[in-house]
Amino acid sequence: MNCEAVIKAIPLYFYGELSPETEERLEDHLHGCASCQREMERQKSFAALLDPRQTQPPVNLLGECRQDLMRSVYREDAPGARHSGPDPWRLFREAFAALLHPGIRFHHVNFAQPLAAVILIGLGYFSARFTAASPGAASVAGLSPDAVISAIRSVQPGSSGQVQIAVDETRRRMISGRLEDSNIQRLLLAAAREESDPGVRVESVDILKTQGGSAEVRSALLEALTTDPNPGVRLKALDGLRNLTADPEVRKTLAQVLLKDANPGVRIQVIDLLIAHKDSSTVGVLQHLVRSEDNNYVRMRCKNALQEMNASVGTF
Amino acid sequence: MTARVIQRLDEADLIRAVQRGDQDAFEQLVRAYDQSVLRLAMNLLRSAEDARDVYQEAFLRVYRNIHTFRFDCSFHTWLYRIVTNICLDYLRKRKVRKEESAVVETPDGPVDRMDSFEQEGSHANPESNLRNLQLGRSIDAALSDLTPRERMVFELRHYQGLRLRNIGEMLGTSEEAAKNCLFRATQKMRAVLGEFV
Repeated sequence: MNCEAVIKAIPLYFYGELSPETEERLEDHLHGCASCQREMERQKSFAALLDPRQTQPPVNLLGECRQDLMRSVYREDAPGARHSGPDPWRLFREAFAALLHPGIRFHHVNFAQPLAAVILIGLGYFSARFTAASPGAASVAGLSPDAVISAIRSVQPGSSGQVQIAVDETRRRMISGRLEDSNIQRLLLAAAREESDPGVRVESVDILKTQGGSAEVRSALLEALTTDPNPGVRLKALDGLRNLTADPEVRKTLAQVLLKDANPGVRIQVIDLLIAHKDSSTVGVLQHLVRSEDNNYVRMRCKNALQEMNASVGTF
Repeated sequence: MTARVIQRLDEADLIRAVQRGDQDAFEQLVRAYDQSVLRLAMNLLRSAEDARDVYQEAFLRVYRNIHTFRFDCSFHTWLYRIVTNICLDYLRKRKVRKEESAVVETPDGPVDRMDSFEQEGSHANPESNLRNLQLGRSIDAALSDLTPRERMVFELRHYQGLRLRNIGEMLGTSEEAAKNCLFRATQKMRAVLGEFV
């Protein structure tokens, strides 16, 4: 291998993209060639210069993208989808609001924060439950700049080309407070049941899960686990119940979820929680699942769990 | 949480569930890949707004076309084919509009739109700050000299750590062509950044 060929191959050598034979020949050459060694050093310096230039997305961007995406997906027609097709009123409302306020984007603030940090809750449509709507007719000019149209009540053609549109207008508010604040908890509990937005439910349950000691929060976590249609929310609720598996009521609910939940990821997580406390009812449920479970991995996990609990895999 | 769970689950099952119209399965699939997709778009386009649009467009295309996915390549490759195509379109449009540089003119002089995302901890040393600023602009200039395809190959290999064989597969070209692209990109950039090396 001569210097010209080595210099051409150095970038590929640096990225580990040469065949082992070429790599060996290049290394042989490098050992005896100071000029090519310097070229290799320059390649390393060049790469090191670029590394700090890697940009990370702003902190909230990923959460906002996920919410925007899932909102769009839930509006899409999909065969077998649980949610119904696009709601014409909703599409009209959004188109109408976008027409009036092109700057408004329909996404919530991503507010996952560490425990005890100040929580910022961005409330969009959700805030409508807590703020008075402004009923009655409004001229376009009369709409507040931060208004969100939550409902169109009527549309009437008027004289001389005018149109009268009766809208319910809600206003977006930012509410901040500590997690220990009962008002904040109340809002989070309501947000955990926010039907229209699984993203809001996931984030709310994720924050609430640290407060599992409160009976109200525990009840909300159990409710989310058993009724929420979104597996992401159910998994967050399971996280929150992790330290509460000594409670017989929690274990009973977990056993029911294990038998009923359609999502294998949730079922696996439930098994992990259940085996923390060995009791006969858990063994019975796991033995039942070994016989009836469709998913190979879940079935294998049940068998392993029974072995960890020194219980027999089958019933006699 | 979801990333761990998805590792345990059979991805093929998840994809088949999405093909049957299961939106929750789609959400799990998205969460397994979306961080790297967003990072790629952000690093390539250096604009949070464009990265957001690429994210949205790419995953909606995945959702709408997943019924055509036949498991003849990995889902990762299939997804990245979509993402890189969209990003290449953005880069080509920028070339046409000559807006490649992240530096924008403001009343206070030229400002790099990406400066707010980087150079943490360098405030204490003005000399190092100035050098970083000059270096940053030179890197932007070097990147803007690359063709969109060279830029993409360089990004995927240098920053995202993908193998050239996979990159070729994603871009619909051979490993050899991807190698040549990487070589040209490296040479061009080193020529521009010579004073810093």
